[in-house]
Amino acid sequence: MKKPVIFKALVALALQNNYMKNCVIAGIALISCVLLALPQVVIAQSYEEVVSSSMESPEYTVMGFGDISYVSRDGSDQDGFFIGQAVGHLVASLTSRFGVFAEVSATGKDSEYTFEVERLIAKYEFSDLFKLSAGRYHTPIGYWNSAFHHGAWLQTTTSRPEMVKFGSKLLPIHFVGVLMEGNLTSSRLGLSYSAGFGNGRHVNIARAGDAGDINGDKAWMVQVQAAPDRFYGLNAGLGFYSDEISPDDRPDIKESTFSAFVAYTKESPEIIIEYMHSSHENLTDSSVSGDTNAWYAQFAYRLKDNLSDWKPYVRYENTDVDDTDPLLFDQGLDYDAGILGVRWDFNPYAALKAEYRAEEFDNNGRENNFRLQLSFVLAKL
Amino acid sequence: MCLGILLLVAPFPAQSEESISQTGLAIVVHADTEADDVSMAELRNIFLANKQFWPDRSRIILLVRAPESDERDYVLNTIYQMNEDSFRKYWIAKMFRAEVPRGPKIVFSSDMTLDLVVAIPGSISFMRADQVTEGVKVLRVDGKLPSDEGYPLK
Repeated sequence: MKKPVIFKALVALALQNNYMKNCVIAGIALISCVLLALPQVVIAQSYEEVVSSSMESPEYTVMGFGDISYVSRDGSDQDGFFIGQAVGHLVASLTSRFGVFAEVSATGKDSEYTFEVERLIAKYEFSDLFKLSAGRYHTPIGYWNSAFHHGAWLQTTTSRPEMVKFGSKLLPIHFVGVLMEGNLTSSRLGLSYSAGFGNGRHVNIARAGDAGDINGDKAWMVQVQAAPDRFYGLNAGLGFYSDEISPDDRPDIKESTFSAFVAYTKESPEIIIEYMHSSHENLTDSSVSGDTNAWYAQFAYRLKDNLSDWKPYVRYENTDVDDTDPLLFDQGLDYDAGILGVRWDFNPYAALKAEYRAEEFDNNGRENNFRLQLSFVLAKL
Repeated sequence: MCLGILLLVAPFPAQSEESISQTGLAIVVHADTEADDVSMAELRNIFLANKQFWPDRSRIILLVRAPESDERDYVLNTIYQMNEDSFRKYWIAKMFRAEVPRGPKIVFSSDMTLDLVVAIPGSISFMRADQVTEGVKVLRVDGKLPSDEGYPLK
């Protein structure tokens, strides 16, 4: 069966009820906008350009990501379009070993846009085994947080898992400091490591300490990954993060987080499983402590041949916070969700995703919602 | 007329794939590169930019043919094991993760490949073995040259 036939059948099915009809109209409008707006990507590198950019002269690459969603929730009168994030990314290769990476985002809020320097990294590469950088990072804990960053187009689903969502209080999504990383490229296991040292969380624990650490104890983290030659596409890792937190409304707390993941990303299938266990201990009363566990498992499969633009997916997520956890017990973070969706890569630089989510929140009870998201990348490659 | 029809319906891509299969795909590097032999796994790591430095710590400069060339198709199939879309996404993600300072350099012909590999220290690229000329070094892959039996890129 050819794609247009399947598409027509889906549209006909969707038009049978008004709710789906609105979603389809929204989707068609979004696709039309992007098809008109996408720039023609032209590869134009002359002999002289290639030679000069391969030598010591600086070279700059600019990329952009964006996403626009239509969200419909059970029993909500606030359904509608949402501008997700507009993200700009600059890679400046200043010499053959030294470069600067910057990522800035604009996020639509109720009455304004907020701008954020998401990442700003100055990196010197001594060798494959040793690269040293300083700046603001997505904390290298687990897989998702340092794999997809703010590029909705890069990830299969419409959103990040709840445990690593932006603004999460569960994990320190950002950190500011120094990072050492490298690959043991000669090993058959494809081992790599990253080790960081820097400011821990801010008094608002959803934020990084951008203007210095709030206490004398710096955060540190280490992660080891393996990508064995024999199982091309497979990546597995273990990580540990430690910090002392001084939240604005409670005593100092010791945080220790262990993370583990397995990811197979060759798309047919794509499997990502990630787990984290976080322990929090009240430093003024060590008898007050508690744990938080969170995990998700995502499975996707890019179809073959004529249907290779389509990628159905499912994800299950769970977050469980101990009632005795001195940091997170009252943050309403318990969460349970099942997600079912399909991604359609209708253009090499844009994708449309349709997703149904059944979620259960700690404070807000159950919610079913439907999301249609258009995500795209502006890149020259 | 029959010959004309045959020529029109002849599967050109299959013919050129056969040609690479017969001659082998040579991995060529700048003549001063301190490497003579790579394993297939190392070669994949170089092409994936997981390995970005030669043993003498000079940076590896990867040159890749533009889309719609038989050499590129062969490399995407055998080394990357990706299609064009996956390949593009791979490099965009790699840059976005700040793991590489730039994507691969794009070249448009075997002549351009040869000229650039001769001119750029640390460069590596690929081309049909029967088009290799003097001035570049051909790497052994798993200990074999393109003319050898059992060469993995043939």
